[in-house]
Amino acid sequence: MMKSATLRRANVRKFLPLGATVSLFILAFLAGVVAFTAMRDGQSFFNLFTTTPFLLILVVGEGLVIISGGIDLSVGGVVALTTVASAALLTDGWDPWLVIPLMLVMGLLFGAVMGLFITYLKVQPFIATLAGMWLARGLCYVISDSEIRIYDPLYKLLAGTRILIPGLADPATKKGDYITVLVVVAILVLAVGTFLAHYTQFGRTIYAMGGNNGANEQSARLMGLHVDRTKVQVYMISGFCSALAGIAYSIYVGSGHGTHATGMELTVIAAVVIGGMPLTGGEGYLVGGLFGVLITALIQSLIQFNGQLSSWWTSIVIGALMLVFIGVQSLLSTMNARQLTARRLGTTASGSPASGKRRAILRDRRFLIGAAVVVAVFVAAQAIGMQSGTNGPNGASASCQLKPNRQDRAAELMKGGAVIAYERNGGAGCVDELYAIYPDGRIVADNGTQTVEKKASPPEVDAMLASINDLGWFTDNMYSTSHTPCAQCFSYFTSVSYKGQEKTIQAVDGGTDAPAKYWLMTGKLSTLVPAFPAPQ
Amino acid sequence: MTGSETDIVVMDSIDKSFPGVHALDRVNFRLAHGEIHALVGENGAGKSTLVRILTGAERQDSGTISLDGVEVVIKSPPHAQALGISTVYQEVNLCPNLTVAENLLIGRQPRKWGRIDWKAMNRQASEMLRGLDIEIDVTQRLDSYSIAIQQMTAIARALVISSARILVLDEPTSSLTAHETEQLFRVMRKLKGEGIAILFITHFLDQVYEVSDRVSVLRNGTLVGMYETANLSRLALITLMLGRSLTETEDIARQKIESGRHIGTDALLEAEGIGLVGSIAPFDLVLHAGEVVGVAGLLGSGRTEMAQLLFGIDQPTSGSMTIDGKTVKKYSPIGSIERGVALCPEDRKAEGIVADLTVRENIIMAMQARRGWFRHLSMSEQYEIADKYIKLLNIATPSADQPIRNLSGGNQQKVILARWLATNPRLLILDEPTRGIDVGTKADIQKLVLALAEDGKSCVFISSELEEVLRTSHRIVVLRDRAKVTEFAGDIDEHSIMQAMAGSEAEAGSEAMAGSGA
Amino acid sequence: MSAARSASRLDRMRGSRLFVPIFALAAILLLDLVFVPGFFKLEMKDGHLYGSLVDILRNSVPTVVLALGMTLVIATGGVDLSVGAVMAIAASVACILIDPRIVGVNLQGNITAVVGDPTYSFMPIPVVILVSLLAAIVCGLWNGLLVAFFRIQPMVATLILMIAGRGIAQLLTNSTKIIIFNDAFAYIGNGFIVLPFSLAIVAALFAGAWLLTRRTAIGLFVESVGISFRASLYTGINEKLIKLFVYAFCGFCAGIAGLIAVSSIRTSDANQIGLYTELDAILAVVIGGTVLGSGGRFSLLGSVLGALVIQATQTSMYAIGVPASAITAVKAVMVIVVIVLYSRQVQDAGVIISTRLGRRQTAA
Repeated sequence: MMKSATLRRANVRKFLPLGATVSLFILAFLAGVVAFTAMRDGQSFFNLFTTTPFLLILVVGEGLVIISGGIDLSVGGVVALTTVASAALLTDGWDPWLVIPLMLVMGLLFGAVMGLFITYLKVQPFIATLAGMWLARGLCYVISDSEIRIYDPLYKLLAGTRILIPGLADPATKKGDYITVLVVVAILVLAVGTFLAHYTQFGRTIYAMGGNNGANEQSARLMGLHVDRTKVQVYMISGFCSALAGIAYSIYVGSGHGTHATGMELTVIAAVVIGGMPLTGGEGYLVGGLFGVLITALIQSLIQFNGQLSSWWTSIVIGALMLVFIGVQSLLSTMNARQLTARRLGTTASGSPASGKRRAILRDRRFLIGAAVVVAVFVAAQAIGMQSGTNGPNGASASCQLKPNRQDRAAELMKGGAVIAYERNGGAGCVDELYAIYPDGRIVADNGTQTVEKKASPPEVDAMLASINDLGWFTDNMYSTSHTPCAQCFSYFTSVSYKGQEKTIQAVDGGTDAPAKYWLMTGKLSTLVPAFPAPQ
Repeated sequence: MTGSETDIVVMDSIDKSFPGVHALDRVNFRLAHGEIHALVGENGAGKSTLVRILTGAERQDSGTISLDGVEVVIKSPPHAQALGISTVYQEVNLCPNLTVAENLLIGRQPRKWGRIDWKAMNRQASEMLRGLDIEIDVTQRLDSYSIAIQQMTAIARALVISSARILVLDEPTSSLTAHETEQLFRVMRKLKGEGIAILFITHFLDQVYEVSDRVSVLRNGTLVGMYETANLSRLALITLMLGRSLTETEDIARQKIESGRHIGTDALLEAEGIGLVGSIAPFDLVLHAGEVVGVAGLLGSGRTEMAQLLFGIDQPTSGSMTIDGKTVKKYSPIGSIERGVALCPEDRKAEGIVADLTVRENIIMAMQARRGWFRHLSMSEQYEIADKYIKLLNIATPSADQPIRNLSGGNQQKVILARWLATNPRLLILDEPTRGIDVGTKADIQKLVLALAEDGKSCVFISSELEEVLRTSHRIVVLRDRAKVTEFAGDIDEHSIMQAMAGSEAEAGSEAMAGSGA
Repeated sequence: MSAARSASRLDRMRGSRLFVPIFALAAILLLDLVFVPGFFKLEMKDGHLYGSLVDILRNSVPTVVLALGMTLVIATGGVDLSVGAVMAIAASVACILIDPRIVGVNLQGNITAVVGDPTYSFMPIPVVILVSLLAAIVCGLWNGLLVAFFRIQPMVATLILMIAGRGIAQLLTNSTKIIIFNDAFAYIGNGFIVLPFSLAIVAALFAGAWLLTRRTAIGLFVESVGISFRASLYTGINEKLIKLFVYAFCGFCAGIAGLIAVSSIRTSDANQIGLYTELDAILAVVIGGTVLGSGGRFSLLGSVLGALVIQATQTSMYAIGVPASAITAVKAVMVIVVIVLYSRQVQDAGVIISTRLGRRQTAA
């Protein structure tokens, strides 16, 4: 009765999002293997799993909630709460075999409360789970302000155990590719979740409820499905997953703190979207979420391996990917809707009015172009990064090579009677300038290739010393700091000897770590010391 | 009135009122075993209310319902389903993102060792559909199939879920092609043969004649009658549906004759072969200043579609339109308003009122939209305009600051009317402007329409009440089955119009056209 | 008619949405009066006014500014989750324009002396402000484009910029933090004219927003689009343009908030600026009576009051001695209370209005 062409197209549409995600992952992984030798180690693949078990667990719970048409913003908060609560209990001496189930129950209850608010008080999921997130994070700090380290032997065991991959590792030498226990747990959770989603009434009700702007929920109710009960249950599952992920996280980092998992909810939601589950609900496969997480981890790895791009490119690329996938989803639903209207208006089932078809093809092209642009941007960034080695946050890839500092020389100069030894190292020309100021007014400047001398007056030097002292040089308010300098920035080393005290303070400009008064000092000194003539 | 033994449903003296509306007035309705029974009536006749009471979505104020001789109280839709009454709506209430098999069996899927047995489910689903003579791949998503198939799926589910004895089909053919409608009718006849009683609500009169055994006609909340379809002529059916709802008023008739003298000769709007595929067949229409053109046609004949085309909501797929001789290039509401065209839409609630805004704001809205963002009407100006129209149209509201949703339907309609009058349009299209309005106000509006014509404006007056169309129009366009059939002018009589609407072979229309005066 | 008009205006106020935020604010201040001695004390020092009340006002500035923009977006039935990220972007742009060494611009002369100079800025301060705000508006237009023209759900569309935006801000500043020495710029966030200068900015913004929405047709159109999208379309309102405008305006407000934030801490910290501020802004709007999700009628004053309620609660908690970290838990409770209050209030209010209407009609 139906044309097979339409059915084929329907099949393609069914698996297109998941297929796109998986293909993207494979492509990106291959690109990485080609570009970076470090990635050719099998472990780099397995590390995508070992560094993200908590995300993998979360994506199952969040995925189910999103398929049902809702959203859960509290996951990061509950993870943090779980880490803090469990850490506190373990430190108090509770048995971990008691703590873990207790935390899971807490997660269930947390989810249940949010679910009840959403289902029976008709609160929007966005707001209810937002409140949940705040409450969870707030409770973290009620329990403890500071980080609680976990020393429990079971946790340490779970963190450290490596499960060797048969065939890729040598059991005799205990070397080779491995995954961790947490990864196994995560895979188990995914398996259970998938079973629930596809083989139980509960799971099918979740799919029935989502999508179509809430109209499906109505239909599901009319069809006699227990929509309300399922809604509460799905948030309970998300809470359970959040708590379980929290346990995994606390094992992974070995502590509990209210700042853990900040922003994790966003990463999970991004993974769900990239995994092919539209935020409107009703479709998608949980295994897509697995790939979504792997892709985010992969992007992070690629950027780290590259070294040229700032790590913030990760969030930009993830945002761009989300845009592309959302675009695909809305495209598919518009195509769907247009087909339905075309049928209703009496046009042929397999086609739409001529202009509509043209528009559809154009939109398809736009999607492809969009995807191509994202890939092109990434590749271009790679290429640019490799070529010029411009202002990266690591000064090492600057266009010139930084010279080592000469602090031992400065110490010599101080021993030799200088009252101020002032070295600045770096800048656009990668210079290293060392100035020595003597109490008789003599100033010697040496930049490694030239030496310049200048004669100031003793009162000027005294005044300089006094003003530096007035800045609080010898108090605790002036201290050394250091960070990786930008391409244009300098590292400073200033040693001052005054009234029997001697103190050297280091600082790097272009940041906020150094005490503000330091720069007043450098400003003053720069008016005193001589300048180097331009090289011939 | 007692029912015969062959009646499976007996609804006795069903009465139902809503605030301001007496929806059903002691309606007696019968449905027999193994019959296809059509229920017809124009908008507001009470069809949907009656159906909602039967399917448990509403409860009657008084009257009884009996199933197979046993009196029942239908508490809710699930309860109705449990009693054997299954309903399939025009918007298929299934989940388009699930497969056909799932939609058929969700909630009662076959299990194997506690988990859902997909193979068995798919097999069962195929069997269910085969029972309706449908062979499709049940593992595909529901929305990959046409609406027709989706409806069959809904029907199949409905039948199996409650071993239904009564199947209610609410406007099932509105989204179907002719071929798919045939499929549906085949299924309906098969079910009828199995003894299932089918209540078939539709506005397509052809289909009533094609598939139904009996037809019941509702009008203004009353059951006009129940007839054997074979014995009822089309003309008779339409007459029963439209009937006489208003009393003649001399004033309005006189006003019409007066205004008829001022009709301009230049065309204000000229539409040539304009049409939208799937919505309305290409038609020609000429409108003059100072003229009221009425549009008569049954529900579903394309009245609103015509209005939407003229107002520029839809982009036509054929033909063109000129206003004041200038061809319309871009069709949009904003563009039409700029050209002096206004539309009072049919669906007041969704397209007319802005519920939370006040009466004043609703009135000045279109005017303000025309002036743009920055030429703001001051509050005093707004109140002035609002007060003017409140008085002019006799809008019953405690103040201009009342949220419009607190007004009665009729007064809301007046506010919408006021909104468009305030923009001083040259062409005002009114789509069912008097629906749900009391008699006195109806007359007011008709007088207003004629006054506008006298003022040199052009009006298109669309209504399902033939009486008022006749009374207010200088010319009448008749639509049938999404196409313009004919036009009448001069001394028009109801009979000819009804014949044109019914589509009798004797085209009384051409005769009327030949005899039309100026 | 005028008697009925003025009577119904009073009617509107009594049953109005502003009731909840005003009541909440009053309740909190009352609790402060009773439980926190010296809460209402105001001191004058060096020509500056100090006190808990001033603290509330000053700390609420970022939320108020964001809430003003967010109100219009929510009124059209949308939401903007990216305001925090846009704040960071605007802050980064401003800092680069003041001290562009990060992006490789070679500054003449002795760098530290130059940069440390409180009057130095690479670009003139007015240009800095203008360009930053422009960047913020562009972000807003991007959101508006996705929502109005590509018909992507607002929550989803703005989520994209929320995730990517912080990355962009970090990218702009090369992940380094720049100290701003410029005094003129710092005045934005730190200046005082008896009261903090930022309050003057807020007042100006509020006045501007009020003029823009209530003295032009924009306010009416925004509400109309939120209440009934189709009716607005048929009335000839250009709803695409309206949506584009409200998202651009929200971006603009985020830009202002970003400038105030960066100037008050005098550092460009793209990581922290505006973190989680979108949630506060949304909460402020919700407390103020504008309905999240469906939109429609909005109240700028309500959102301002809502922001004050949030801040007053926070400041009061500090004053009572609740640890700073537990504040988020308190906020959560507040959200829950507000939600419950509104969900029942809506129902009850409906009853009240209809009975009042009945009484008035019989009286007339």
